[in-house]
Amino acid sequence: MTSNTISEDDLYRTTSQYRLWSFSPEALASRRRGTHELALQRAWQHAPTSDGASDGAARGSSVDCLTVGEELRLVQRYCNQIRTTSDHFQWPVQVKATAVQYLRRFYLSNSCLTYPPKDIYKTVLFLACKTEATHMTLSEYARRISTDPDAVLAPEYKVMQALRFTLDVRQPYRGLKGVLMELLNMANGMVGEVIDAETRGAKELQASLLDLAKPSSDAKTPWKAPATGSVDVKHLTDRINAAYSAARTILDGPALLTDAYFLYTPSQILLAALQLADEPLSSFYLTTKLPISSDVRPKILATISTCADLLFSFSDAVIISKEERARLEEKLELCRDPSTRDLVQAHAAAMRGSDEDDEAKARKRKAAREKSRQEGEDLFGPRLNGVGAGGG
Amino acid sequence: MLKSPALDVPPEPPAKRRKTSPEPESDDNTPAPIINSTVKDLAAQLDEAERKKYVKGRKLGSGQYADVFSAHLLSDPKQVFAIKKIKIGPEVKEFGISYDSLREIRFLQELNHPNIIKLHAVFSTKSQNLNLVLEYLPQGDLLRLIQDTKGTTYTPADIKAWMLMLMRAVHFCHVNGILHRDIKPNNLLIAADGSIKLADFGLARAMADPFQPMTYNTITIWYRPPELFFQAQHYGDAVDVWSCGAVFAELIGREVLFRAWPETEINMVRLICEKVGTPTEDNWPGVSKLRGYVTPSEIIPLRPKEQWSASFRAIGEVGVDLLMKTLTLDPRQRLTAEGVLRHPFWTSEPRPSKLRDLPRRGGGKETMGEDLTQRGGELPTANGEGGKKRGDKVAKKLDFGIMTK
Ligand SMILES: Nc1ncnc2c1ncn2[C@@H]1O[C@H](COP(=O)(O)OP(=O)(O)O)[C@@H](O)[C@H]1O
Ligand SMILES: [Mg+2]
Repeated sequence: MTSNTISEDDLYRTTSQYRLWSFSPEALASRRRGTHELALQRAWQHAPTSDGASDGAARGSSVDCLTVGEELRLVQRYCNQIRTTSDHFQWPVQVKATAVQYLRRFYLSNSCLTYPPKDIYKTVLFLACKTEATHMTLSEYARRISTDPDAVLAPEYKVMQALRFTLDVRQPYRGLKGVLMELLNMANGMVGEVIDAETRGAKELQASLLDLAKPSSDAKTPWKAPATGSVDVKHLTDRINAAYSAARTILDGPALLTDAYFLYTPSQILLAALQLADEPLSSFYLTTKLPISSDVRPKILATISTCADLLFSFSDAVIISKEERARLEEKLELCRDPSTRDLVQAHAAAMRGSDEDDEAKARKRKAAREKSRQEGEDLFGPRLNGVGAGGG
Repeated sequence: MLKSPALDVPPEPPAKRRKTSPEPESDDNTPAPIINSTVKDLAAQLDEAERKKYVKGRKLGSGQYADVFSAHLLSDPKQVFAIKKIKIGPEVKEFGISYDSLREIRFLQELNHPNIIKLHAVFSTKSQNLNLVLEYLPQGDLLRLIQDTKGTTYTPADIKAWMLMLMRAVHFCHVNGILHRDIKPNNLLIAADGSIKLADFGLARAMADPFQPMTYNTITIWYRPPELFFQAQHYGDAVDVWSCGAVFAELIGREVLFRAWPETEINMVRLICEKVGTPTEDNWPGVSKLRGYVTPSEIIPLRPKEQWSASFRAIGEVGVDLLMKTLTLDPRQRLTAEGVLRHPFWTSEPRPSKLRDLPRRGGGKETMGEDLTQRGGELPTANGEGGKKRGDKVAKKLDFGIMTK
């Protein structure tokens, strides 16, 4: 609930979210393309061919594979699935926000072709439930989503790896609540003094809030100015609360189902949501934080606006239907990487394999030394006409 | 099967698997190697690259849920680390990756501070073990120094230096929205340069929204604040400050301040009443409404400052004032970590010791059990500047003595 958004930004720069999971739109797009292409290569490696071409590209062109765009829509659909499942369990909002970001982050380095989201989303939701300190046993969770517990756990390490072992997701919810508190205090004349363009005392702040322009007709807030035109403190309080809940709805929907978290900081997201909810109110709030004279002001406002555009452009209609999902998943099977088909079995095998520490490792090292020695001795022998020959 | 000679045959190049007849559905294709795909995804590549950077050495110790090994960089053996390998216990079946390790990884990834143990990297092994690459802290923990009453002497200036490092670490956690919830001397590790590092984030959590209930069954019992015994579900950074206060008192007295024995909650509440005072509506408005509020029937008034001073004289008046404000019953009146750092204690005489002057690990002999009989209240041998120097020399001598044995 600290009021200093600037220093919060400084702290934000030390977070893993900033270090590893913040991108420019171009970098994000190229990352996804790269992942998609790597996945196609993987799939082709295993895919049988009829024309005998060993060149991946030649084979790929003959098969109708899921595109990058289709992968994205499929992932978005499962993000939405996570939201509804988490809400159904009445878990705190942090759980779903974290789980959704886990899924989105997972698909920056993995493709649906390798790991279909229907295998992954239950795992990230359970993982988020654990990292956000919400308790539900695996057996209960699995029972309630009618899944085999092993299927929930099987991809867990894969997910951890894809998350680069960073589990913290910075979210805009607490920040938004802080803004709500501050605005309510100002509305009630309880803020001592704000230093902006000209220093304003509590009474002046309250007066400017009461005088604020009406929200525009396309604003997301349900609040309407009283017919009489004169706004009192009660009206103002209602206005602030209404803007808060409209902004909260945006944080729960569009902010989670777009790339907002990859592209913007939590405070930018919450201010963008507030701007869509009630623009005059959010501008007022910004001036109390960011003096009109500040050099960085235009840049910050521009960033918030582009974020608002992104959130505004989203509508529930873009989430694909159940039928469309089924169609994409069928299509996915055509280019499906077979090596990751049975995750439960792979997981069980990995867990059974005793750890390669200690003796096992020593044995392996010895074997490797032995092998390289032999290879060294046979350098001009078998390697030329033996092993290497198959490559052509 | 295991030693089949087939294993020595180099893997078939992919070209040989090609089929010339019309292929069946990809489903029934030759069973593909499950784990090893020749083209690894980006995350797997990064994970593997990280794993290959380190050479694991001897075991340094093991705890409840991890074994810790020394390690060094393959490319530069002078760079040493501690690798904490999370044990896979039977609870894996019921939870998957444990809460403790997830919490430790989550929070250490976010915290970069000179007095918090640094997590350099995390990697996994094929058999799905998590390995945390931590900074190597070879000097043991603060508990060993406190308990080594024969081999280690230290001064109020040393205590001030240690407490300042601890409080900076705790404050940094709190501004990052993280509660540690397990502050105690054995979780304060000592680096080669003598600085203190807050470690073991296995119980940490993010500060909750005001309405979200949290478990009260946390923090090692001797360092647990009264609001948790009364089962408050909404608590905040004040819980860590209480634990810091208990560590502060333990550093001064060289014995656990609230050493309930047996370690039951009821004994802890009794001890807190005896040593601080009985929590009542007068000194803690609202306390009687907490779910678990029970106190011994005899009401003990808040312990007056003179009595605190009598027990903790060695740390000086300003120090005693700070101690009382960290061990205030009502969490809302207790100082915050920031409040502690703003207290005049740090700038009053004596100045905190320089890192290089701090005592190092004394004897190697375990002093287990001795503290049961030891009487506290005073610092052994520490009196004034001169005493400090002598104390230091004695400690160093003992140190060498044991090393050359
Ligand atoms: N960073 C480190 N440097 C050196 N030794 C360490 C380090 N971390 C842990 N150890 C040693 O390993 C032991 C167990 O580690 P700990 O983190 O306490 O595991 P657990 O969380 O399971 O209790 C410690 O008591 C200590 O001896
Ligand atoms: Mg430990």
